Amino acid sequence: MSDGIKITPVNRGKRPTFFDDPAIDQLMAIVMAMSAEMSVVYDRVDTIERLLDKKGTLSRDDIEAFRPDQDVEDERNVRRNEYIARLFRIIREERETLTPHDKMDEYNALMDELAQK
Amino acid sequence: MVGQTPHDLLATPTHDEFALQSYVSTLRMHILNDIGSGLRGVYDNRVKPSFESEKGRAPKDEHEVRRAMMKDDYCRTWSSMMRSCQEMIWDSITPSIERAQPTLNARAAKLAEDPKGSLTLDPTLKTPPYVSAADIHLMPGNYHTERSDYDVSQGMLYDRGVYVYAAGNGGPLGDTIGRSLAEHLKIRFPDFKPERILDIGCTVGHNLLPFADVYPDSEIHAIDVSAPMARYTHGRAESLGKAIHVHQMNGEDMSFEDESFDLVMSVVTFHETSRTAMKRILEECQRVLKPGGLMIHMELPRTAGMDPFDAFYIDWDAYYNNEPFYQAFTSTDMKQAYVNVGFDAHKYMEVMTPDIHVVPREDFDAAARLNRQEAKRYGRMGEAIHWTGWGAWK
Repeated sequence: MSDGIKITPVNRGKRPTFFDDPAIDQLMAIVMAMSAEMSVVYDRVDTIERLLDKKGTLSRDDIEAFRPDQDVEDERNVRRNEYIARLFRIIREERETLTPHDKMDEYNALMDELAQK
Repeated sequence: MVGQTPHDLLATPTHDEFALQSYVSTLRMHILNDIGSGLRGVYDNRVKPSFESEKGRAPKDEHEVRRAMMKDDYCRTWSSMMRSCQEMIWDSITPSIERAQPTLNARAAKLAEDPKGSLTLDPTLKTPPYVSAADIHLMPGNYHTERSDYDVSQGMLYDRGVYVYAAGNGGPLGDTIGRSLAEHLKIRFPDFKPERILDIGCTVGHNLLPFADVYPDSEIHAIDVSAPMARYTHGRAESLGKAIHVHQMNGEDMSFEDESFDLVMSVVTFHETSRTAMKRILEECQRVLKPGGLMIHMELPRTAGMDPFDAFYIDWDAYYNNEPFYQAFTSTDMKQAYVNVGFDAHKYMEVMTPDIHVVPREDFDAAARLNRQEAKRYGRMGEAIHWTGWGAWK
């Protein structure tokens, strides 16, 4: 948008860094952004496949106009969660060695509760 | 992410922007709930034992916990991811709003032309320092920035931002705290029928609109210091068919008459104001409340007396998510603060309610009758199972 508004931070202050080397924080931000781009591409492919299944042909406008209904979004969320779990496996493995199982049970019960909403 | 209730002031994302917002929501829940659930184990099994072997005692408060935790790589990774993800929320939303802003500003102005409610702006109102001090939650421009005439872009940003942040856990209208509160009050105090209701710091009106459903005969007013938020709240309410009287006004200095409201409320407002402002707002609540009326403020849990690890977890946002007033608030004794401005200590009350969107309705009603709910989880919409409020009858 050349002639429109630009929404930028006004008063965010200095960005905190969490690691001794700020480059690790930068790298983390880059990995997170990359993970998002990959997920967006996957959704786009999924949209194309669904449209082709249904109509056998498609246009760019068809893709742009496509919005998932709740069932499609639920399927996509399963895929996203599996994808995130693979991507951040190394962190989960560390958690599992440090979190006693009774706390995990409590956590899993809560997740089940939320999933049934 | 498909379920946000449509209204006339929501920007339309492209296919890919929508996909990005959906992913950021899911990613945030994973970091918050899945990776975040490991923090306690890290503390109990690694950070605390190491602190104890060095100092010969356990950490005495949340500050010691924080300093020790922030040296641990697991906590650093979680923190770095939380911070990045919060930035990604806004990045995922801003392009659609930049594009839609002229159209939606015009639409908001049109909604104000023949309203059910009303909108009163005050161009002379000065933005208080606690609003201009920081982009709270890292939202670019915070609540008050105006970018053109009759601008509502900050309202659009906040409305969609809260939905992405909460991954829809706030309900299709993002109203879960207000709806839980309104339904709770109706069950717990069946004889209380407020004729005039006031919401202080309404932002976009998420938590106020349920009161129009629960108390349909009431006259509902809302104030916010921000013109974009006041305009947006009004336009959104009109679009959703609710009559709300919105005023651009500072809660520290309200123009309402003495004893003119039966219910004065706020939802998560105080933790974004200074202690001085909070005292002034409470004085004003006392003034505008009718005798027999109720003041109630829904807020974050108190950290006083809390396990130092839990307090550290709650207050993380104060340090890393631009919540500069958070900690001063979470450590405030609310009952004392109310007594200090003239409320009777015997008329102090508290609300603890399960989330109306999470628990079965019969459990919600039973909890309201007892005002008791086993405290389980709280905070940041990811694990929110119950909501807390502090109030007083006049």
